Amino acid sequence: MSFHVVKREACPLWKKACFYLLAVLAALTLGGLLLLAMGVNPLAYYSRMFTMGMVGNKIAYKAFENYLKVFVPLALTSVALSLAFKMRFWNIGGEGQFIMGAIAAATVALKLGSSLPNAVTLILMCLAAMLAAGLYGVFVAALKVKFGTNETLMTLMLNYVALYILAFLGDRKADWNFFLQAESVRPVFQSFADVAAFPKIMLGKFGLNLCVLLTFAVGAVIFVYLKYTKQGYEISVVGDSAGTAHYAGMKVNTIVLRTVFLSACLIGLAAAFKVGTAGVLSTAITDDVGWTGIIVAWLSQLNTAVIFVVSALISMLHYGSVAAAASFSRVDSSFANMLQGVILFLVLTADFFIRFRIVRTQKGGKDNGNG
Amino acid sequence: MKKFLALVMAMAMTLSLVACGNAGSGSASGSGAETAELTVGAIYINSKNDTAGYTFAHHNGIVNGMKKLGLDPDKQLFIVDEVPEDKQQVLAAVDTLVGQGADIIFGISFGYIDAMEEAAGLYPEVIFSHGTGYKSNETNFNNYFGRAYQARYLAGIAAGLKSLETGNNNVGYVAAYTTAYAETASGINGFALGVQAANPDAKVYVKNLGNWADEVNEKAYAEELINTFGCGVISQHCDSAQPQIAAENAGVFGCGYNSDMTGDAPKAHLTAAIWNWDVYYATAMQAAMDCAGDASKFVETMGGPAYYGGLKEGFVDVSPLSANCAANTDKAIEAVKAMMVNGEWDVFTGVKLSIAADGTVTSADAALVDNAGNEIVAAGGPSVEDGVITGSMNYLVAGVEEV
Repeated sequence: MSFHVVKREACPLWKKACFYLLAVLAALTLGGLLLLAMGVNPLAYYSRMFTMGMVGNKIAYKAFENYLKVFVPLALTSVALSLAFKMRFWNIGGEGQFIMGAIAAATVALKLGSSLPNAVTLILMCLAAMLAAGLYGVFVAALKVKFGTNETLMTLMLNYVALYILAFLGDRKADWNFFLQAESVRPVFQSFADVAAFPKIMLGKFGLNLCVLLTFAVGAVIFVYLKYTKQGYEISVVGDSAGTAHYAGMKVNTIVLRTVFLSACLIGLAAAFKVGTAGVLSTAITDDVGWTGIIVAWLSQLNTAVIFVVSALISMLHYGSVAAAASFSRVDSSFANMLQGVILFLVLTADFFIRFRIVRTQKGGKDNGNG
Repeated sequence: MKKFLALVMAMAMTLSLVACGNAGSGSASGSGAETAELTVGAIYINSKNDTAGYTFAHHNGIVNGMKKLGLDPDKQLFIVDEVPEDKQQVLAAVDTLVGQGADIIFGISFGYIDAMEEAAGLYPEVIFSHGTGYKSNETNFNNYFGRAYQARYLAGIAAGLKSLETGNNNVGYVAAYTTAYAETASGINGFALGVQAANPDAKVYVKNLGNWADEVNEKAYAEELINTFGCGVISQHCDSAQPQIAAENAGVFGCGYNSDMTGDAPKAHLTAAIWNWDVYYATAMQAAMDCAGDASKFVETMGGPAYYGGLKEGFVDVSPLSANCAANTDKAIEAVKAMMVNGEWDVFTGVKLSIAADGTVTSADAALVDNAGNEIVAAGGPSVEDGVITGSMNYLVAGVEEV
């Protein structure tokens, strides 16, 4: 007896939703069994997780602000990655591009922040971060176009180059190293929150960071760009078949370079938002958005609108599980990470069953159509 | 496919049944305990479920400190763990803990320093206490650390006497960092001076890991010290017991750190410089309760913005001496410990102790000199400032060589 995988013709929306829901339920069941084994009531844990610890919290507005701080860089990075993925350019280098953007933004803030108005500094930070990240990304695209190098490996390895540059800057006390506090004996990143910080729109006690609005605006622009412009169309044609694109007279190399640059630029923008909100660098500045963004982009099937929904859910999982772990002495953040992993894994499994089905191979070569 | 669905449904149903049962019993057992009123928050760099290392030591200290005061860690302790040294993430952790109603929040990692300072300003009604930092204010924000160098000196005596006994004057030291941090420099210097008190001919070779925890190199560097530099005793300032295990494997001796490592290296380990973090945590939590809801009195209640306890408070100590120690080690260590506890003498002064083979201690004026020949303290002079030991000590004393 043997099996083979067959592509599903079409899967109705309700069926898709059921698959995803079942995957999440199965993951929660697994997590629940583990929680029980640890002597923790799963319902109590999950209710704290899904409310992100905001119920009965005297500063719930702060919790929501912190949630948005997780959401913004993830959503924007995922949108950016989806651009490259749509063209089948496997940009695994979100982490590295994010770090390069963050370093560039911090450089602007530290060097020019004190002499320029806040708004000008912020705009320059965004531009510098976009340029730095964009160049870091387009460098790989240029190598691919010119020499046919493998972009997956290149972007992946450049992540570590960027990470170690950041670690070096964070570790090496020296006169030239303006990233660190001069007065501290130990290496500590210099804060620039007083000279460069994205403004908040106060709604009562809750402060809505301008970055949140900007992120939605960028998302809308990219949605239109991909769906209704010529360049957006070119991206999908190159993604479907570079040969066809070439035959149709498209300048494939230019399109690849342009799109990867744009993709990395947006990741740089996400970094500028993050740095301009945090007001300081750190070696953990990316919060793994370069990795998580890949999963978000895939789960959303590269649909810009869906990316925002999935980012919101993943951020909720990420932030909520940490908030929940705080109140259960036996549950640590590793459990939260594991639960996220299980949910993502099972949702991706569900995704597989939505796209394909497994049928038994029969001797006559016909399957019985049983699904 | 139907089978698969059925299976998942069954799993979901089992979950809800078991979960309900548990909810009932959980709330029943929860009531009835009478406890003092204080909600404690903590921010850890690693997991609260760690079984060894830095976070483990602090977590133990907080839990035991709470038990001492009749607080219930299961209900009154909230922890956000695995928080990197990232200001935004630390502040988010603070928000979570304040939201849970924490009255006092401990941050254990040095890199939390700026976030803790900002949080103390944001939440004046909450007490903030930062381990290993140097920032503070006059009301609700202090820092704490201990005189580990005193315990190091005592461990140094054990190592020095052992080197005399074996006739091997080379002593090794695997250090996370050397002169980059006052914490590591003072540890190396305290240990080396202790070794020299027992064996004036001893030489301390130091290897710099460049990392607080790196198990592979901790072992490799210890092996290099043993094989290349002929070291007969290996001391360490790093997270794992790997240097002690390397000493055990090579048939030499060693002094651990943070916890009693005799179990890891029964034939090699002499004694370890250890921390009793519960001493500080109980003191701080008692002070927080004494403030009776007015967080601004905390620093005053603690008697100052920086807690720097030592042997006297029992905050640092040496672990019980193992049978591997040379004769009279216990006698010598007891005598020197008493001198430090009653304030008669301290390590970084212009007075040098000499320990005879029979364990008697004599003192004489002698300058404290670094390994480049600079005089740090003149003969007979007083101890260097605490600020030097916690902040600006960036030299190694004579007789120490970084290799």
